[in-house]
Amino acid sequence: MPTILEMKNIVKEYPTITALSDVDFKVDEGETVAIIGPSGSGKSTLLRCINCLTRITSGTITLDGKTFVDSKPGDAINSNHEAAYLPDKQLLEICCETGMVFQHFNLFPHMTCLGNITYAPIKVKKRPKEEAEKRGMELLELVGLADKAAEYPGRLSGGQKQRIAIARGLAMDPRIMLFDEPTSALDPEITGEVLAVMKELAREKTTMVVVTHEMGFAKEVADRVVFMDHGSVVEEGTAEEIYDHPQSERLNDFLGSLLQS
Amino acid sequence: MAETLRYVGEIMPFLLQGTLIMIELFVLTLLFSLPLGLPVTLGSTCRFKVVRFICKCFIWIFRGTPLLLQLFFFFYMLPIISNGAISLGPFPTAVIVFVLNYAAYFAEIYRGGMNSIDSGQYEAAHSLGLNKHQTMMGIIVPQTFRVVLPPVTNEAIVLIKDTALVSCIGVGDLMRNSKGFVSRDVNLTAYIIAAAIYLIFTYLMTRLSAYLEKRVSEYDSKGEW
Repeated sequence: MPTILEMKNIVKEYPTITALSDVDFKVDEGETVAIIGPSGSGKSTLLRCINCLTRITSGTITLDGKTFVDSKPGDAINSNHEAAYLPDKQLLEICCETGMVFQHFNLFPHMTCLGNITYAPIKVKKRPKEEAEKRGMELLELVGLADKAAEYPGRLSGGQKQRIAIARGLAMDPRIMLFDEPTSALDPEITGEVLAVMKELAREKTTMVVVTHEMGFAKEVADRVVFMDHGSVVEEGTAEEIYDHPQSERLNDFLGSLLQS
Repeated sequence: MAETLRYVGEIMPFLLQGTLIMIELFVLTLLFSLPLGLPVTLGSTCRFKVVRFICKCFIWIFRGTPLLLQLFFFFYMLPIISNGAISLGPFPTAVIVFVLNYAAYFAEIYRGGMNSIDSGQYEAAHSLGLNKHQTMMGIIVPQTFRVVLPPVTNEAIVLIKDTALVSCIGVGDLMRNSKGFVSRDVNLTAYIIAAAIYLIFTYLMTRLSAYLEKRVSEYDSKGEW
Protein backbone atom coordinates (compact mmCIF):
# COMPACT_ATOMS: atom_id res chain seq x y z
CA MET A 1 0.00 0.00 0.00
CA PRO A 2 1.34 3.46 -0.88
CA THR A 3 2.25 5.81 1.91
CA ILE A 4 -0.20 8.69 2.40
CA LEU A 5 1.43 10.46 5.28
CA GLU A 6 5.07 10.61 6.17
CA MET A 7 6.40 12.62 9.10
CA LYS A 8 10.13 12.59 9.74
CA ASN A 9 12.20 13.92 12.64
CA ILE A 10 9.28 15.97 13.95
CA VAL A 11 10.26 18.35 16.74
CA LYS A 12 7.73 20.65 18.36
CA GLU A 13 9.08 23.04 20.95
CA TYR A 14 7.11 25.52 22.95
CA PRO A 15 8.94 28.32 24.74
CA THR A 16 9.05 26.28 27.95
CA ILE A 17 8.56 22.64 26.98
CA THR A 18 9.28 20.22 24.18
CA ALA A 19 6.06 18.54 23.08
CA LEU A 20 7.54 16.30 20.38
CA SER A 21 11.15 15.27 20.18
CA ASP A 22 12.27 13.62 16.97
CA VAL A 23 9.15 11.66 16.10
CA ASP A 24 8.82 9.58 12.94
CA PHE A 25 5.33 8.60 11.89
CA LYS A 26 3.99 7.01 8.75
CA VAL A 27 0.53 6.04 7.56
CA ASP A 28 -0.24 3.83 4.58
CA GLU A 29 -3.37 4.08 2.47
CA GLY A 30 -6.35 2.26 3.95
CA GLU A 31 -4.66 1.83 7.29
CA THR A 32 -6.21 2.55 10.68
CA VAL A 33 -3.63 3.73 13.18
CA ALA A 34 -4.40 4.25 16.85
CA ILE A 35 -2.19 6.53 18.91
CA ILE A 36 -2.28 5.87 22.63
CA GLY A 37 -0.40 7.25 25.58
CA PRO A 38 -0.79 9.16 28.82
CA SER A 39 -2.04 12.75 28.72
CA GLY A 40 0.72 15.17 27.87
CA SER A 41 2.56 12.53 25.86
CA GLY A 42 2.26 14.56 22.64
CA LYS A 43 -0.24 12.36 20.83
CA SER A 44 -2.77 15.13 20.18
CA THR A 45 0.02 17.50 19.21
CA LEU A 46 1.28 14.98 16.67
CA LEU A 47 -2.21 14.66 15.21
CA ARG A 48 -2.65 18.44 15.01
CA CYS A 49 0.66 18.77 13.18
CA ILE A 50 -0.75 16.65 10.35
CA ASN A 51 -3.24 19.33 9.31
CA CYS A 52 -1.16 22.32 10.46
CA LEU A 53 -3.34 23.28 13.41
CA THR A 54 -0.05 23.14 15.24
CA ARG A 55 3.10 24.19 13.43
CA ILE A 56 6.23 22.14 14.04
CA THR A 57 9.66 23.49 14.97
CA SER A 58 11.57 21.24 12.63
CA GLY A 59 11.12 18.13 10.56
CA THR A 60 9.47 17.05 7.32
CA ILE A 61 5.80 16.36 6.68
CA THR A 62 4.64 14.90 3.39
CA LEU A 63 0.95 14.41 2.81
CA ASP A 64 -0.27 12.64 -0.30
CA GLY A 65 3.09 13.25 -2.01
CA LYS A 66 3.16 16.96 -1.19
CA THR A 67 5.77 18.19 1.28
CA PHE A 68 4.47 21.29 3.02
CA VAL A 69 7.18 21.71 5.59
CA ASP A 70 10.80 20.64 5.41
CA SER A 71 12.98 22.25 7.98
CA LYS A 72 16.14 21.44 9.90
CA PRO A 73 16.69 21.95 13.62
CA GLY A 74 17.52 25.58 14.33
CA ASP A 75 15.68 26.86 11.28
CA ALA A 76 12.66 28.15 13.19
CA ILE A 77 11.53 31.46 11.77
CA ASN A 78 9.70 33.10 14.64
CA SER A 79 9.59 33.45 18.40
CA ASN A 80 6.97 30.70 18.62
CA HIS A 81 9.61 28.23 17.44
CA GLU A 82 7.80 27.51 14.19
CA ALA A 83 9.37 26.25 11.00
CA ALA A 84 8.81 27.86 7.61
CA TYR A 85 5.71 26.46 5.90
CA LEU A 86 4.36 26.76 2.39
CA PRO A 87 2.27 29.93 1.80
CA ASP A 88 -1.20 29.83 3.40
CA LYS A 89 -3.08 29.25 0.19
CA GLN A 90 -1.18 26.13 -0.85
CA LEU A 91 -1.14 24.96 2.73
CA LEU A 92 -4.94 25.14 2.98
CA GLU A 93 -5.29 23.12 -0.21
CA ILE A 94 -3.12 20.38 1.24
CA CYS A 95 -4.88 20.53 4.61
CA CYS A 96 -8.15 19.88 2.78
CA GLU A 97 -6.83 16.38 2.18
CA THR A 98 -7.34 15.70 5.85
CA GLY A 99 -10.63 15.58 7.73
CA MET A 100 -10.56 16.24 11.44
CA VAL A 101 -12.89 15.17 14.22
CA PHE A 102 -12.40 16.99 17.50
CA GLN A 103 -12.95 15.95 21.08
CA HIS A 104 -15.50 18.74 21.56
CA PHE A 105 -17.16 18.34 18.13
CA ASN A 106 -16.72 22.02 17.16
CA LEU A 107 -19.82 21.95 15.00
CA PHE A 108 -21.01 25.28 13.64
CA PRO A 109 -23.96 26.05 15.93
CA HIS A 110 -25.61 28.57 13.60
CA MET A 111 -25.97 26.07 10.76
CA THR A 112 -28.20 23.04 10.43
CA CYS A 113 -26.57 19.62 10.44
CA LEU A 114 -26.77 19.48 6.66
CA GLY A 115 -25.42 23.04 6.50
CA ASN A 116 -22.46 22.01 8.63
CA ILE A 117 -21.67 19.23 6.19
CA THR A 118 -22.16 21.13 2.93
CA TYR A 119 -20.62 24.50 3.81
CA ALA A 120 -16.99 23.61 3.11
CA PRO A 121 -17.62 21.56 -0.06
CA ILE A 122 -19.64 24.45 -1.50
CA LYS A 123 -17.23 27.21 -0.45
CA VAL A 124 -13.87 25.49 -0.76
CA LYS A 125 -14.41 22.87 -3.45
CA LYS A 126 -16.94 25.04 -5.30
CA ARG A 127 -19.39 22.18 -5.64
CA PRO A 128 -22.92 23.03 -6.80
CA LYS A 129 -25.34 23.25 -3.87
CA GLU A 130 -27.57 20.39 -5.06
CA GLU A 131 -24.63 18.06 -5.51
CA ALA A 132 -23.18 18.94 -2.10
CA GLU A 133 -26.55 18.40 -0.44
CA LYS A 134 -27.05 15.08 -2.17
CA ARG A 135 -23.66 13.92 -0.95
CA GLY A 136 -24.43 15.43 2.47
CA MET A 137 -27.59 13.36 2.75
CA GLU A 138 -25.66 10.21 1.81
CA LEU A 139 -23.20 10.93 4.60
CA LEU A 140 -26.00 11.61 7.07
CA GLU A 141 -27.42 8.25 6.02
CA LEU A 142 -24.02 6.67 6.65
CA VAL A 143 -23.85 8.00 10.22
CA GLY A 144 -27.51 7.16 10.77
CA LEU A 145 -28.78 10.71 11.21
CA ALA A 146 -30.62 11.47 7.98
CA ASP A 147 -33.65 12.57 10.01
CA LYS A 148 -31.59 15.32 11.67
CA ALA A 149 -30.62 17.10 8.44
CA ALA A 150 -32.63 20.24 9.23
CA GLU A 151 -31.91 20.20 12.97
CA TYR A 152 -29.44 22.55 14.64
CA PRO A 153 -26.52 20.95 16.53
CA GLY A 154 -27.70 22.51 19.80
CA ARG A 155 -30.59 20.07 19.88
CA LEU A 156 -28.50 16.93 19.43
CA SER A 157 -26.92 14.62 21.97
CA GLY A 158 -23.14 14.41 22.22
CA GLY A 159 -22.99 11.16 20.30
CA GLN A 160 -25.15 12.58 17.53
CA LYS A 161 -23.02 15.72 17.37
CA GLN A 162 -19.88 13.67 16.97
CA ARG A 163 -21.44 11.59 14.19
CA ILE A 164 -22.38 14.82 12.38
CA ALA A 165 -18.79 15.99 12.87
CA ILE A 166 -17.54 12.78 11.25
CA ALA A 167 -19.90 13.30 8.31
CA ARG A 168 -18.67 16.89 8.00
CA GLY A 169 -15.07 15.72 7.82
CA LEU A 170 -15.88 13.06 5.25
CA ALA A 171 -17.75 15.53 3.04
CA MET A 172 -14.48 17.01 1.81
CA ASP A 173 -13.45 13.56 0.55
CA PRO A 174 -10.20 13.64 2.51
CA ARG A 175 -7.40 11.18 1.87
CA ILE A 176 -7.02 10.70 5.60
CA MET A 177 -9.32 11.17 8.59
CA LEU A 178 -7.92 12.39 11.89
CA PHE A 179 -9.73 11.74 15.17
CA ASP A 180 -8.64 13.58 18.29
CA GLU A 181 -10.06 11.65 21.24
CA PRO A 182 -13.49 11.51 19.56
CA THR A 183 -15.25 9.79 22.45
CA SER A 184 -13.53 11.41 25.44
CA ALA A 185 -16.21 14.06 25.92
CA LEU A 186 -19.07 11.58 25.67
CA ASP A 187 -20.96 9.69 28.33
CA PRO A 188 -19.74 6.08 28.41
CA GLU A 189 -23.06 4.66 27.25
CA ILE A 190 -23.10 6.65 24.02
CA THR A 191 -19.49 6.18 22.90
CA GLY A 192 -20.67 3.02 21.18
CA GLU A 193 -22.65 4.79 18.48
CA VAL A 194 -19.62 6.90 17.52
CA LEU A 195 -17.25 3.94 17.59
CA ALA A 196 -19.68 1.97 15.42
CA VAL A 197 -19.44 4.64 12.71
CA MET A 198 -15.65 4.62 12.95
CA LYS A 199 -15.56 0.83 12.71
CA GLU A 200 -17.70 1.06 9.59
CA LEU A 201 -15.20 3.53 8.11
CA ALA A 202 -12.31 1.22 8.99
CA ARG A 203 -14.12 -1.62 7.26
CA GLU A 204 -14.43 0.52 4.15
CA LYS A 205 -10.64 1.02 4.27
CA THR A 206 -10.78 4.71 5.08
CA THR A 207 -7.33 5.86 6.12
CA MET A 208 -7.61 6.91 9.74
CA VAL A 209 -5.41 8.14 12.55
CA VAL A 210 -7.17 7.95 15.89
CA VAL A 211 -5.94 9.35 19.16
CA THR A 212 -7.91 7.31 21.64
CA HIS A 213 -8.26 5.82 25.08
CA GLU A 214 -10.68 3.17 23.86
CA MET A 215 -8.68 0.00 24.19
CA GLY A 216 -11.51 -2.12 22.83
CA PHE A 217 -11.74 -0.03 19.69
CA ALA A 218 -7.99 -0.07 19.15
CA LYS A 219 -7.85 -3.82 19.61
CA GLU A 220 -10.71 -4.45 17.25
CA VAL A 221 -10.00 -2.17 14.31
CA ALA A 222 -6.52 -0.68 14.50
CA ASP A 223 -4.07 -2.17 12.03
CA ARG A 224 -1.32 -0.60 14.03
CA VAL A 225 -1.07 0.92 17.50
CA VAL A 226 1.49 3.58 18.36
CA PHE A 227 2.36 4.20 22.00
CA MET A 228 3.73 7.65 22.82
CA ASP A 229 5.20 9.02 26.01
CA HIS A 230 7.07 12.24 26.79
CA GLY A 231 6.95 13.41 23.20
CA SER A 232 8.39 10.30 21.58
CA VAL A 233 7.11 7.11 20.05
CA VAL A 234 8.07 4.46 22.55
CA GLU A 235 6.62 1.41 20.91
CA GLU A 236 4.51 0.50 17.92
CA GLY A 237 3.05 -2.66 16.51
CA THR A 238 -0.18 -4.54 16.03
CA ALA A 239 -2.83 -4.19 18.70
CA GLU A 240 -1.96 -7.64 19.95
CA GLU A 241 1.74 -6.82 20.24
CA ILE A 242 1.06 -3.59 22.08
CA TYR A 243 -1.66 -4.69 24.44
CA ASP A 244 -0.74 -8.29 25.08
CA HIS A 245 3.02 -8.26 24.78
CA PRO A 246 4.30 -4.83 25.80
CA GLN A 247 8.07 -4.64 25.51
CA SER A 248 8.89 -1.48 27.42
CA GLU A 249 8.37 -0.70 31.05
CA ARG A 250 6.61 2.57 30.26
CA LEU A 251 3.98 0.87 28.13
CA ASN A 252 3.54 -1.74 30.82
CA ASP A 253 2.97 0.98 33.41
CA PHE A 254 0.54 2.80 31.15
CA LEU A 255 -1.52 -0.32 30.44
CA GLY A 256 -1.52 -1.05 34.14
CA SER A 257 -2.90 2.39 34.92
CA LEU A 258 -5.60 1.92 32.27
CA LEU A 259 -6.77 -1.28 33.88
CA GLN A 260 -6.88 0.27 37.30
CA SER A 261 -9.14 3.12 36.26
CA MET B 1 -57.18 71.53 34.75
CA ALA B 2 -58.59 72.99 31.57
CA GLU B 3 -55.78 75.50 31.70
CA THR B 4 -53.17 72.76 31.85
CA LEU B 5 -54.76 70.87 28.99
CA ARG B 6 -54.82 74.01 26.87
CA TYR B 7 -51.14 74.56 27.67
CA VAL B 8 -50.24 70.98 26.78
CA GLY B 9 -52.18 71.34 23.54
CA GLU B 10 -50.19 74.45 22.75
CA ILE B 11 -46.72 73.01 23.30
CA MET B 12 -47.39 69.45 22.12
CA PRO B 13 -46.89 70.03 18.35
CA PHE B 14 -43.44 71.47 19.02
CA LEU B 15 -42.48 68.62 21.31
CA LEU B 16 -43.63 66.06 18.75
CA GLN B 17 -41.62 67.89 16.12
CA GLY B 18 -38.60 67.51 18.39
CA THR B 19 -39.43 63.85 18.87
CA LEU B 20 -39.37 63.41 15.11
CA ILE B 21 -35.87 64.92 14.98
CA MET B 22 -34.82 62.54 17.76
CA ILE B 23 -36.15 59.54 15.84
CA GLU B 24 -34.42 60.65 12.64
CA LEU B 25 -31.11 61.00 14.43
CA PHE B 26 -31.59 57.65 16.16
CA VAL B 27 -32.40 55.78 12.95
CA LEU B 28 -29.66 57.41 10.87
CA THR B 29 -27.05 56.76 13.56
CA LEU B 30 -27.88 53.07 13.84
CA LEU B 31 -28.25 52.69 10.09
CA PHE B 32 -24.66 53.79 9.47
CA SER B 33 -22.81 53.00 12.69
CA LEU B 34 -23.89 49.35 12.99
CA PRO B 35 -22.30 48.34 9.67
CA LEU B 36 -19.40 50.77 10.06
CA GLY B 37 -18.38 49.10 13.33
CA LEU B 38 -17.58 45.84 11.54
CA PRO B 39 -14.75 47.04 9.26
CA VAL B 40 -13.34 48.98 12.22
CA THR B 41 -13.27 45.78 14.32
CA LEU B 42 -11.75 43.71 11.55
CA GLY B 43 -9.28 46.52 10.91
CA SER B 44 -8.23 46.67 14.54
CA THR B 45 -7.23 42.99 14.39
CA CYS B 46 -5.86 43.18 10.85
CA ARG B 47 -2.36 41.90 10.15
CA PHE B 48 -1.33 45.18 8.50
CA LYS B 49 0.15 47.39 11.16
CA VAL B 50 -0.94 50.71 9.64
CA VAL B 51 -4.59 49.65 9.32
CA ARG B 52 -4.54 48.29 12.86
CA PHE B 53 -3.05 51.52 14.16
CA ILE B 54 -5.60 53.72 12.40
CA CYS B 55 -8.55 51.66 13.60
CA LYS B 56 -7.30 51.54 17.17
CA CYS B 57 -6.68 55.30 17.18
CA PHE B 58 -10.17 55.87 15.84
CA ILE B 59 -11.68 53.79 18.63
CA TRP B 60 -9.43 55.36 21.22
CA ILE B 61 -10.35 58.93 20.28
CA PHE B 62 -14.08 58.49 19.79
CA ARG B 63 -14.55 56.32 22.83
CA GLY B 64 -12.13 58.27 24.96
CA THR B 65 -13.57 61.77 24.64
CA PRO B 66 -17.00 63.07 25.63
CA LEU B 67 -19.63 62.91 22.94
CA LEU B 68 -20.57 66.48 23.81
CA LEU B 69 -17.01 67.63 23.14
CA GLN B 70 -17.03 65.83 19.81
CA LEU B 71 -20.25 67.62 18.87
CA PHE B 72 -18.80 71.03 19.74
CA PHE B 73 -15.54 70.22 18.00
CA PHE B 74 -17.10 69.27 14.71
CA PHE B 75 -19.67 72.04 14.89
CA TYR B 76 -17.36 74.95 15.75
CA MET B 77 -13.87 73.81 14.89
CA LEU B 78 -14.46 72.59 11.36
CA PRO B 79 -15.54 76.04 10.07
CA ILE B 80 -12.71 77.69 12.02
CA ILE B 81 -9.83 75.47 10.86
CA SER B 82 -11.13 75.38 7.30
CA ASN B 83 -11.62 79.15 7.20
CA GLY B 84 -15.33 78.74 6.72
CA ALA B 85 -14.95 76.37 3.78
CA ILE B 86 -16.45 73.42 5.66
CA SER B 87 -19.60 74.29 7.52
CA LEU B 88 -22.25 71.69 8.03
CA GLY B 89 -25.59 72.48 9.56
CA PRO B 90 -26.28 71.34 13.12
CA PHE B 91 -28.22 68.24 12.13
CA PRO B 92 -25.72 66.79 9.60
CA THR B 93 -22.93 67.48 12.10
CA ALA B 94 -24.89 65.63 14.76
CA VAL B 95 -25.46 62.64 12.47
CA ILE B 96 -21.78 62.41 11.48
CA VAL B 97 -20.53 62.69 15.06
CA PHE B 98 -23.04 60.17 16.36
CA VAL B 99 -22.25 57.68 13.59
CA LEU B 100 -18.51 57.89 14.25
CA ASN B 101 -18.91 57.74 18.02
CA TYR B 102 -21.27 54.80 17.99
CA ALA B 103 -19.26 52.95 15.35
CA ALA B 104 -16.33 53.07 17.78
CA TYR B 105 -18.46 51.58 20.54
CA PHE B 106 -19.98 48.94 18.28
CA ALA B 107 -16.51 48.01 17.01
CA GLU B 108 -15.45 47.25 20.56
CA ILE B 109 -18.63 45.29 21.23
CA TYR B 110 -18.06 43.26 18.05
CA ARG B 111 -14.46 42.63 19.05
CA GLY B 112 -15.54 41.34 22.44
CA GLY B 113 -18.13 39.16 20.73
CA MET B 114 -15.59 37.68 18.34
CA ASN B 115 -13.17 36.97 21.19
CA SER B 116 -15.90 35.02 22.93
CA ILE B 117 -16.18 32.59 20.01
CA ASP B 118 -14.53 29.32 20.96
CA SER B 119 -11.15 28.72 19.32
CA GLY B 120 -12.48 25.30 18.27
CA GLN B 121 -14.60 27.09 15.68
CA TYR B 122 -11.49 28.52 14.03
CA GLU B 123 -9.82 25.12 14.20
CA ALA B 124 -12.80 23.36 12.65
CA ALA B 125 -12.90 25.97 9.87
CA HIS B 126 -9.19 25.55 9.25
CA SER B 127 -9.44 21.77 9.18
CA LEU B 128 -12.10 22.07 6.47
CA GLY B 129 -9.82 24.23 4.37
CA LEU B 130 -11.77 27.48 4.78
CA ASN B 131 -9.62 30.55 4.24
CA LYS B 132 -9.57 33.54 6.59
CA HIS B 133 -12.30 35.42 4.74
CA GLN B 134 -14.62 32.41 4.57
CA THR B 135 -13.99 31.66 8.24
CA MET B 136 -14.80 35.22 9.27
CA MET B 137 -17.84 35.79 7.10
CA GLY B 138 -19.31 32.29 7.24
CA ILE B 139 -18.45 31.10 10.74
CA ILE B 140 -17.32 33.81 13.13
CA VAL B 141 -19.37 36.89 12.22
CA PRO B 142 -22.76 35.12 12.15
CA GLN B 143 -22.11 33.68 15.60
CA THR B 144 -20.83 37.02 16.85
CA PHE B 145 -24.12 38.57 15.77
CA ARG B 146 -25.98 36.52 18.33
CA VAL B 147 -23.49 37.16 21.09
CA VAL B 148 -23.45 40.92 20.59
CA LEU B 149 -27.18 41.41 20.27
CA PRO B 150 -27.78 42.19 23.97
CA PRO B 151 -24.95 44.75 24.30
CA VAL B 152 -25.88 46.31 20.95
CA THR B 153 -29.51 46.82 21.91
CA ASN B 154 -28.30 48.18 25.22
CA GLU B 155 -26.22 50.75 23.33
CA ALA B 156 -29.28 51.60 21.25
CA ILE B 157 -31.14 52.45 24.45
CA VAL B 158 -28.26 54.65 25.55
CA LEU B 159 -28.37 56.27 22.12
CA ILE B 160 -32.00 57.35 22.60
CA LYS B 161 -30.96 59.34 25.62
CA ASP B 162 -27.70 60.57 24.08
CA THR B 163 -29.63 62.27 21.29
CA ALA B 164 -30.56 64.93 23.87
CA LEU B 165 -26.96 66.20 23.64
CA VAL B 166 -27.53 67.63 20.18
CA SER B 167 -29.68 70.37 21.72
CA CYS B 168 -26.35 71.98 22.68
CA ILE B 169 -25.39 72.66 19.07
CA GLY B 170 -28.80 74.02 18.22
CA VAL B 171 -30.61 71.02 16.79
CA GLY B 172 -34.30 71.44 17.57
CA ASP B 173 -34.79 68.03 19.14
CA LEU B 174 -37.17 67.03 21.91
CA MET B 175 -34.75 68.20 24.61
CA ARG B 176 -34.16 71.64 23.13
CA ASN B 177 -37.82 72.30 22.42
CA SER B 178 -38.95 71.27 25.88
CA LYS B 179 -36.19 73.36 27.48
CA GLY B 180 -37.41 76.33 25.47
CA PHE B 181 -40.88 76.09 26.96
CA VAL B 182 -39.61 75.55 30.49
CA SER B 183 -37.44 78.68 30.29
CA ARG B 184 -40.13 80.78 28.63
CA ASP B 185 -43.06 79.78 30.84
CA VAL B 186 -41.24 78.88 34.08
CA ASN B 187 -43.33 75.69 34.01
CA LEU B 188 -41.95 72.13 34.21
CA THR B 189 -44.79 70.51 32.24
CA ALA B 190 -42.70 70.33 29.05
CA TYR B 191 -39.97 68.40 30.87
CA ILE B 192 -42.50 65.93 32.25
CA ILE B 193 -43.91 65.30 28.79
CA ALA B 194 -40.40 64.97 27.32
CA ALA B 195 -39.44 62.47 30.02
CA ALA B 196 -42.57 60.46 29.24
CA ILE B 197 -41.71 60.43 25.54
CA TYR B 198 -38.13 59.29 26.23
CA LEU B 199 -39.47 56.57 28.51
CA ILE B 200 -41.89 55.35 25.87
CA PHE B 201 -39.08 55.01 23.36
CA THR B 202 -36.65 53.28 25.71
CA TYR B 203 -39.46 50.93 26.72
CA LEU B 204 -40.22 50.10 23.07
CA MET B 205 -36.51 49.49 22.50
CA THR B 206 -36.35 47.15 25.48
CA ARG B 207 -39.26 45.16 24.14
CA LEU B 208 -37.74 45.02 20.67
CA SER B 209 -34.46 43.77 22.09
CA ALA B 210 -36.22 41.05 24.09
CA TYR B 211 -38.05 40.00 20.93
CA LEU B 212 -34.86 39.87 18.84
CA GLU B 213 -33.01 37.88 21.49
CA LYS B 214 -35.81 35.38 21.55
CA ARG B 215 -35.80 35.10 17.76
CA VAL B 216 -32.10 34.37 17.40
CA SER B 217 -32.08 31.85 20.22
CA GLU B 218 -34.86 29.81 18.66
CA TYR B 219 -32.48 27.26 17.24
CA ASP B 220 -31.02 26.32 20.56
CA SER B 221 -33.45 24.81 22.95
CA LYS B 222 -31.08 24.10 25.79
CA GLY B 223 -29.71 27.58 26.19
CA GLU B 224 -26.42 26.49 24.75
CA TRP B 225 -25.16 26.09 21.20
